[in-house]
Amino acid sequence: MINIVVIAISAVMLAFVLVWWRWPAFRLWTEAPKYFMLRQERRFDDGTSYSRPDSKTRDPE
Amino acid sequence: MTQRNTESAGELPIVEYGLVRAHIFASLATLLISATFGILVATKFNFPEFLGGHAWLTWGRLRYNHTQGIFFGWLGNAFIAFFYYAVPRLANRPVWSRNLGWLLFSIWNFAVVLPGWVLVLAGFSKPLEWGEFPHIVDSFVVLAFILMAFEFVLPFLKARLSDLYVAAWYIIGGIIFTMLAYPVGNIVPELVPGARGAAFSGLWIHDAVGLYVTPFAVAIAYYVVPAATRRPIYSHFLSMVGFWLLFFVYPLNGTHHYVYSAIPMSAQKGAIVASAYLGMDVILVVANLLLSLRGSSAAVGRDVPLRFVWIGVVSYLVVSLQGSVQALMPINRFIHFSDFVIGHSHLAMIGFASFIALGGIAHLWQRIPGTRYNERTMSWAFWLLAVGMSLMVVDLTIAGLVEGQLWQSSAPWIESVRAVRSYWLIRTLSGLPIFAGFVLFWTSLVSGPKTSAVAAPLSKYEPPEDPASFEAVAPVSRQLSWTRWLSYANVIAFVAGVGFFAFSFLVLAIIPGKQLEDEIKRVAPATMPKLTASEQRGRVIYGREGCAYCHTEQIRSLAADVRRFGAPTEAWETKHDYPHFWGTRRIGPDLSREFNLHSSDWQLTHLYNPRFVVRDSVMPGYPWLFEGSPNQPTQEGLDVLAYLQSLGRARELSGLEQQESADLPSQAPDMAVMSDASARATPPTVAVPMVGGYSLSAPILHPASESCDLQEEVGRGASLFAANCASCHGSPGKGNGKASASLLPRPADLTAARFSDERLSGVLWNGITGSAMPPWRQLSAEDLRALIAYVHALYSDDPPSEQQDAKLVTSKALFAAACASCHGNTGAGNGPAAAALAPAPTNFHLKQPTEERAWKVLEDGVPGTAMPPWKNELSEDERRALVEYVRSLYRLPQGDSPR
Repeated sequence: MINIVVIAISAVMLAFVLVWWRWPAFRLWTEAPKYFMLRQERRFDDGTSYSRPDSKTRDPE
Repeated sequence: MTQRNTESAGELPIVEYGLVRAHIFASLATLLISATFGILVATKFNFPEFLGGHAWLTWGRLRYNHTQGIFFGWLGNAFIAFFYYAVPRLANRPVWSRNLGWLLFSIWNFAVVLPGWVLVLAGFSKPLEWGEFPHIVDSFVVLAFILMAFEFVLPFLKARLSDLYVAAWYIIGGIIFTMLAYPVGNIVPELVPGARGAAFSGLWIHDAVGLYVTPFAVAIAYYVVPAATRRPIYSHFLSMVGFWLLFFVYPLNGTHHYVYSAIPMSAQKGAIVASAYLGMDVILVVANLLLSLRGSSAAVGRDVPLRFVWIGVVSYLVVSLQGSVQALMPINRFIHFSDFVIGHSHLAMIGFASFIALGGIAHLWQRIPGTRYNERTMSWAFWLLAVGMSLMVVDLTIAGLVEGQLWQSSAPWIESVRAVRSYWLIRTLSGLPIFAGFVLFWTSLVSGPKTSAVAAPLSKYEPPEDPASFEAVAPVSRQLSWTRWLSYANVIAFVAGVGFFAFSFLVLAIIPGKQLEDEIKRVAPATMPKLTASEQRGRVIYGREGCAYCHTEQIRSLAADVRRFGAPTEAWETKHDYPHFWGTRRIGPDLSREFNLHSSDWQLTHLYNPRFVVRDSVMPGYPWLFEGSPNQPTQEGLDVLAYLQSLGRARELSGLEQQESADLPSQAPDMAVMSDASARATPPTVAVPMVGGYSLSAPILHPASESCDLQEEVGRGASLFAANCASCHGSPGKGNGKASASLLPRPADLTAARFSDERLSGVLWNGITGSAMPPWRQLSAEDLRALIAYVHALYSDDPPSEQQDAKLVTSKALFAAACASCHGNTGAGNGPAAAALAPAPTNFHLKQPTEERAWKVLEDGVPGTAMPPWKNELSEDERRALVEYVRSLYRLPQGDSPR
């Protein structure tokens, strides 16, 4: 059982490291979501998300 | 449906702020209720009679509601509130449907939490850890998770992989994994018995934390950290490595709750290795989160919600490393079942999950327009919670170490309860700042200035560290077009979810289950009895009242366990246990070998009010199982009694015990252990059970012969007597303690007879079969000597008058005719009938009753024993002659000092 667990986890880790190491484009690509998240955060925080006149979910007040 | 169409580039998806608010208020309301349950439960450790006597308010039911309330009510609502806020931002799409959202809200709170609480208090529950709500509620939980999948997973359906932030992965993964794990953990252990069922429930115990609490809490942390600092996380790649490892490794941890159990060692060791890997994974995740805060320490100090999250992240690291270490066998054997683990779970649920959830709520609350937010009270809430949580965790950790130390020794179980009472009091008190912190947290959301605009002006945002990289993502995404199938994140998460779950299921449940099944077929006696209908009903009540949360039913393969409780629990013994009651905590002793350990009257008295027989017990009483007194049990009371007396019966009747004793090489006599003055602190090297069973090697202990030493022993004996014996024998030893009214035969009046050292040593070592007197050989030899000295001191000398020879001959003949069949010709208690009697007839060579006592016994007999009244059989003169005669039989044995 230990062997199964160790081999399986090692395989997962190795796969991650290999892809990251061998493929620079992947490194770039895999970091993209953190920028997307921040961009979205900016968009929402500028207030438009709850200032749209047609929004049914704007603040009840 | 809210808005199914994809938003145009400039248009933002709708955020269901109404649902966010509703779930936040529900989360805080249920948090306060759950915390109240927790404080009541903690208080009962110090004041067991507090709110006692009412079935609805008993410890077990309140404890169920405490954990389930935190799990579903508080954390569930907090997580869902966060999903409503974050999913539209992360998916750039609204949630599936507002109406579905309100349906989910209603189901979660009015079909899961509220009825779950009421049903548990009313006695409808299932005794599965983290799965105590009854099956009817489970069906709504599963339905709610299906709705959650629609509401929160489907918006990501068309999300590009390059847009899918790690928090989204955790949300998707958590929902899908929990949807799979929940039914397995809550239904399978009820269908698969004993050890095999434990393998499955071990999965859920850990999946509940690992696949539900952890992913959603980590999702909040990954969201709040960059949103509050306006900087991207350190490495999204590392965050994804952490994500996949967590979901792969966490389900493999489950069996580490059953180390040294009957579950195949290969599965146990697999779980231990997985636990070590999990620790490494958490180091990775926490390092990534803390590196994301580099250069933002001022923000952590300034922004209270971020501070909450920061504490949560640090607690996550500590609690995970603690968990990995706890799983290691040398540590596990020492701290498992103790308060150390309770400290660990509170660090996980308060320090990690609740701090992050509170931080997430406070963060998003400020960004909902029109809400109020009071930073000052929020800061107070933070400090109250931080202080309370730290105090609680440190206190419980130390308490666990104290318990672990005492459990390794041969000290009686109750000493571990006495030793940590002050720690339990501190734990209860530490709940007060925590509760106050929760109240202030809520206050800070409804007081203070109104939020009318976004909290953070755009100008405050820092640009991405490497804009070039950011811009280069699109071409890279195009290069990865061959992986188009990968762009369906839901597909990946679902396939991986099913795959990982199936893997853990196979490795930790199916394979060990098959091994256990084969073992059971091979080892179980063909005639192993099933539980009777009454025992089965008793088992249900036992589960309903939460008994398994304080008493384990698994003796681990450890010398300390075996010595204290008996042979290790084997898988075949549990083959009729639906569900298993192995337990993960010992406040009271293990009950696996309860068969023949205590008499029925002791059990009933103990159930009615444990303190009647064990002065310092913290167990709740169950008076609703009786009609006003311990000797008037209801059918339910009798059912519980029947169940308790069935525990260990299968093994006892199997003959294995006798076979194993015969196979064992000659062991060192028990006394070799007990005569050692340091026996209390040093575990014996020979595994000799300290409770239960009859041991032929009863030593004869003699109190000190020197007067001053004897005085000291008597003083010490008085304290020991008051702590351990007075509840039955009464404080002056007159046999009139609280329990005496319901025990039959009544506890001995120790002032009414002189006992030899041999007699007292034998009784203390083996108890008295057929009575409620248990063996006390777990006490050290010093303590036993002191007790003997004290009992001697209770007797005021009453020398028998000299009998004339002629009268003696008459009395002897009378004794031979009336008494010898039981008491033996010489009065040594070894007559032909003696072997079949329990309690055994008195040996008058070792016990000399007072004249008054002997007369009373001859008049009235001894209820609960074979001794009949002789009032109508013998004349007064004959009885008086017998009294004189039996008193003359006492011989001062060699070694006994005349007192």
